[in-house]
Amino acid sequence: MTGCQVSENIQKTSSDEDYQSSSTAWRKAEARSTVRILSDGRGQCVLSVPDLRCGGCVATIERTLSTRTDVVSARVNLTLKQVVVTFVNADADPTSVISALGLLGYPATSADQDQSHENDTDNVGRGLLRAIAVAGFGAMNIMILSVAVWSGAAGETRDTFHLISALIAIPVVAYAGQPFFQSAFQALRVRRLNMDVPIAVAVVLALALSLAETMRGGEQAFFDAAVTLLFFLLSGRYLDHLMRERARSAVSGLARLSPRGAMLRQPDGVLTYVPLSAIAPGAIIAIGPDERVPVDVSVISGSTDLDRSLVTGEAIPVPAGFGDTLEAGTLNLTGAVEAEVLRSADESFLAQMMRMQSEAETGRGTYVRIADRAARLYAPVVHLLALATFVGWVLATGDWHTSAFVAISVLIITCPCALGLAVPVAHVVASGRLMRMGILMKDGSALERLAEIDRVVFDKTGTLTMGTAAVGLGPNDPALRAAAKALALKSFHPAARAIAISIAELPCQLDDATEVPGFGVAGCVGGRAVRLGRADWVADISMQAKDRASPVFAFADGPAMAFDLLETLRPGAFDAVKSFAAAGIPVAMLSGDIEARANRIANQLDIADVRSGETPADKIAALNALRDDGYRALMVGDGLNDAAALAAAHVSMAPSSASDAGRTAADFIFLRDGLEAVPAAWRMARATARIVRQNFGLAIAYNCIAIPLAMAGLVTPLIAALAMSASSILVIGNALRLNPPEKPRETQALRHKRSEVLA
Amino acid sequence: MTILAFLIPITLGMGAVGLCVFFWSLRSNQYDDLSGDAERILFDEDRPLPAASARLSNTTKETAP
Amino acid sequence: MMSNLTSPERARAMLITGAGVLIGLTMAVLGRNDPMGAHGWIVLLFCGVLFFIVADKLYDAEPVEDRSISYYDDPTKVGILLALFWAVVAMGMGVWVASQLAWPDLRFDAAWSSFGRIRPVHTSGVIFGFGGNALIATSYHIMQRTSRARMPDQVSPWFVLLGFNLFCVVAASGYLIGITQSKEYAEPEWYADLWLVIVWVVYFVLYIRTLARRNEPHIYVANWYYLSFILVVAILHIVNNLAVPASFTGAKSYSAFAGVQDAMVQWWYGHNAVAFFLTTGFLGMLYYFLPKRAGRPIYSYRLSILSFWGIVFFYIWVGSHHLHYTALPQWVQTLGVTFSVMLLVPSWASAGNALMTLNGAWHKVRDDATLRFMMVAAVFYGLSTFEGSFMAIRPVNALSHYTDWTVGHVHSGAMGWVAMITFGSIYALTPVLWRREAMYSWKAVEWHFWLALSGTVIYVFAMWNSGITQGLMWRTYTESGTLRFSFVDTLIAMHPYYIARAFGGLLFFAGACICFWNVVMTIRRVPHHASAIDYPTTSEAMEPAVPAAE
Repeated sequence: MTGCQVSENIQKTSSDEDYQSSSTAWRKAEARSTVRILSDGRGQCVLSVPDLRCGGCVATIERTLSTRTDVVSARVNLTLKQVVVTFVNADADPTSVISALGLLGYPATSADQDQSHENDTDNVGRGLLRAIAVAGFGAMNIMILSVAVWSGAAGETRDTFHLISALIAIPVVAYAGQPFFQSAFQALRVRRLNMDVPIAVAVVLALALSLAETMRGGEQAFFDAAVTLLFFLLSGRYLDHLMRERARSAVSGLARLSPRGAMLRQPDGVLTYVPLSAIAPGAIIAIGPDERVPVDVSVISGSTDLDRSLVTGEAIPVPAGFGDTLEAGTLNLTGAVEAEVLRSADESFLAQMMRMQSEAETGRGTYVRIADRAARLYAPVVHLLALATFVGWVLATGDWHTSAFVAISVLIITCPCALGLAVPVAHVVASGRLMRMGILMKDGSALERLAEIDRVVFDKTGTLTMGTAAVGLGPNDPALRAAAKALALKSFHPAARAIAISIAELPCQLDDATEVPGFGVAGCVGGRAVRLGRADWVADISMQAKDRASPVFAFADGPAMAFDLLETLRPGAFDAVKSFAAAGIPVAMLSGDIEARANRIANQLDIADVRSGETPADKIAALNALRDDGYRALMVGDGLNDAAALAAAHVSMAPSSASDAGRTAADFIFLRDGLEAVPAAWRMARATARIVRQNFGLAIAYNCIAIPLAMAGLVTPLIAALAMSASSILVIGNALRLNPPEKPRETQALRHKRSEVLA
Repeated sequence: MTILAFLIPITLGMGAVGLCVFFWSLRSNQYDDLSGDAERILFDEDRPLPAASARLSNTTKETAP
Repeated sequence: MMSNLTSPERARAMLITGAGVLIGLTMAVLGRNDPMGAHGWIVLLFCGVLFFIVADKLYDAEPVEDRSISYYDDPTKVGILLALFWAVVAMGMGVWVASQLAWPDLRFDAAWSSFGRIRPVHTSGVIFGFGGNALIATSYHIMQRTSRARMPDQVSPWFVLLGFNLFCVVAASGYLIGITQSKEYAEPEWYADLWLVIVWVVYFVLYIRTLARRNEPHIYVANWYYLSFILVVAILHIVNNLAVPASFTGAKSYSAFAGVQDAMVQWWYGHNAVAFFLTTGFLGMLYYFLPKRAGRPIYSYRLSILSFWGIVFFYIWVGSHHLHYTALPQWVQTLGVTFSVMLLVPSWASAGNALMTLNGAWHKVRDDATLRFMMVAAVFYGLSTFEGSFMAIRPVNALSHYTDWTVGHVHSGAMGWVAMITFGSIYALTPVLWRREAMYSWKAVEWHFWLALSGTVIYVFAMWNSGITQGLMWRTYTESGTLRFSFVDTLIAMHPYYIARAFGGLLFFAGACICFWNVVMTIRRVPHHASAIDYPTTSEAMEPAVPAAE
């Protein structure tokens, strides 16, 4: 191809191949850093495989992986969508396993070892389950004995049964009641009241009263009520824990975006992988294409394009070269660069954002959960009522013993079994439904807060938009378009990808294709040089030199043709904004991007309140201002620059594509692309809040009937047991209304055909 | 019903055994992946898996230089 | 089969059967003046035959099979055949017993063929012979498959299976001779009970050893159900059969408990036998074969574990509902009622779980009679547990007790639930076990299904009508306050229902015969099917477009 001249502008970096290998090496080292060394000297790593769906996937993956010689065993966890791979050697390379999984059709990423290590030992959950088992064992056996007594076992038989019940109840309460006792004790120590205080008081008093009755040979004992209460409440608590645990493991399964280490240029010129903590200012690191910048650096050689959307909110990639500063978290798109470290990891942009985020969190103040608010009202009322009953009965009858019995029975019958279940059960059901809608909820309080919002604030890039660029008008000539597509296919630059997708023609034959990071792609078509890229760079070979922002394509000495880049709206964005507006909740947009792009999206979506060019601090200030004005804002954002604002908002949501910091800060994460998840979650939150209010209403109504009966001394252990079970079942049943009858499970549709599995 | 003096301890004993078994199953990670475990039986091969120890010695042999 | 044993294993088998021969001889000699002597000869014969089978193969070549890559299925195969043999014998007995009630002349004036002697042959034959063998056989299959490990040795599975059958033979023959301790479902005398304890302990140890060898970390829920069946039945059996032999040279023994205490123990045992023999074991079968056959995981695995603990806990004290309006204290009766009613929750959870598993695979239920057996089993399980809870309520029991309604209830559980799930499992298991492509005749399976279903429905409806009629007639008074109907009046009213019952039973029996024939033909005629792919147990693999025989 003699006619084809390579322009001087194309500087072939001498160390291109060095960078190539450094990039692979970085990837390997990054993956290897997640391998944990087991006690027997083998390596183990946890891979997160989001596409795991059914037993077929499990069988395929386990079978394929265990035939590998470097793998001792592979165990899939379908619930967590993870694969635990045990390697023969501690220095095994998970990337080959990851690519093997990719070939099977299961994209995988290394999961953070520290996080998944916690998964292995969910001690809180196990402790609760053990407590439930003990309480269940006690409740069942005491119930048998109590039913016998209620059925008419009298005299010595009854006394014996009470004694056996006591022998079962004391250790059971001592063991299974601990979560409540501890929580109540902690609350009382800081002079607060929470739901666990009346629970703990009632359980202990019921036990004490029953013991006294047993010793006395009395007719009535409340062992059954005390233990069953613990069983019910522990179940509620465990479900609540399970809900959060599930969301947490799902979040930890999302691919990690920030790097764990970098390739450091040693004094002898060799590139070695070092963890983030070991990178000091002044060091030289290599950053390959498609890697994220680990710490704040300044480029010293090479040029590239950067995707700063997660860092600043700029939607369109920017070129960078010698002397430019790169913030930690920026995505390096096209070229390999070497850069000098400006700040260590804990002083980098990312760390600053984290600091702002935690400051914003403390500024938000503590939100008091609705159950605890109820307890603050409820506990004093009930305890005063019990006291009043006691005093009343003493005055009326002078019988201390009967008075104490009646007073304690007031405490037992009002015991907040239904109240204690009213909130967690509704939240668990709601969280299950949200999860099926592809929305992860971090904890129940977030749902309560989401129900209260009266302002919605959206970030633009990555939230209202998908951040990927699409092409407006291009050249019309098919030959030109085919050539442009051929060039575009050579680059991973988002603009190039968008151009390649937008052109329907087959690419033509392209020779000598070279990508010049920061500029574009050059090559030869039919002996003529072609370029696709920055306008001024393309102008070097083409006729017309035009100074414009969009990428340009041209044949040598031919006319330059521009591709316009547009941001695509996230699907459902329009409906999401509209449904909030329809509900009378004003919607605002806070963007870090330039005014023109922000305004265009705002116009498309009919958002009046737009602010552009916002720094993270500006965003926090805006949200703080909203709060100071008494508004409760929902913030939806994804970037690093949003993380602090997410924390500052009353409640927050992030897409699963968000930065790690954004995902950590957000209360909800939606996994599917569509933005309709935001109003859907809000509606779910409102429905849940309604159910919770109804549940409280039911509990209060129950108490209005039960308390007078108890104060009149009419409550027997049998009535207490029946009332408690009935009110709990009522509350649970009401909460289940959040879960409308499902059609046959969705997952079944996604179930792989067996033939596929076999293949 | 003196017979209950006999039957109740037996029942309690069986319950206690059940409780211990549950504790054991919890400690040996029996409830970590219930959806996966429900699926696994559908995809077992009609032959036993080699014992873990055999598998280890095999792989060590293969990777030994 | 014996050639799959190694020489030391053959030697051990000979030692055990030889010991059995000696025990039989001892019993025969010591009990020569007692019916026990006859049992001695039966034991001697049983063990002697086995002894010679093993001895014949003692010097055969060592087995070539690689034990590390195969499951040990020989005892499972024999167990399935034994189960079907017992099904045919015991259900045939059932038809005879039922016919005797309609046409008493069918006793043919012999002592051994009187109702009181052949009824326990029927009940023990179906419960222990058919149900027990099926449970042992399927448990051998399931414990190895779900553990992904072979059984630890090859002698103890045989010991358990054949030892249990020896117990069944001794029990059934004893009833005909007239040896019984008159405890329902626990009729065999002290030496048979002792023998069963030994067999059962070995069974439990074998199960635990297999689980301990497992290569799959998770223990599938079916194993929990089977384990509870083995463990609790052992305890129940021991407690209920605590008895003092009148003499060690005779069959007669006296229960350790007396009067109402004995009755309480008997029904504590009796209803827990329903729970842990006829429910949890067969639920284990359901939880394995239903998902396997439907090709879908159980609807809620969590619920299957929860209902396991629920059933285990709630069942324990319901037995006293068998003793309403007796000398048993009122509160013990009420206790039984309370728990019987609460038991409905875990029972329906299991039945619902099974049916929800099929939700979305109804086309398979429509096309596949095997799966239909399992579906109908789950439905009858739900129905009969509801009926049971209902009948346990004291006022209802006042009408139903001692009437044929009870018999109808038991049979809706035994035929509709236990037998249906067992037949379904056998049809699912046979092609897998013998490495055949499918059953010999799918039409025969269809025939069996419809015979079994219509037999059950006819039986149950006949007994409902007869029971309620009977109950109402018994409690009808004249104006002067005397009983309106004599006992003979009620018998005359029952006669048509008894004929219907015998007919329903006959249909069910015919179905069981077809099943036996179909299984034998599958083994003999259907070509060996080497599984090219390694999933012979999946339902798609078992449902060929063209069935083997047609």
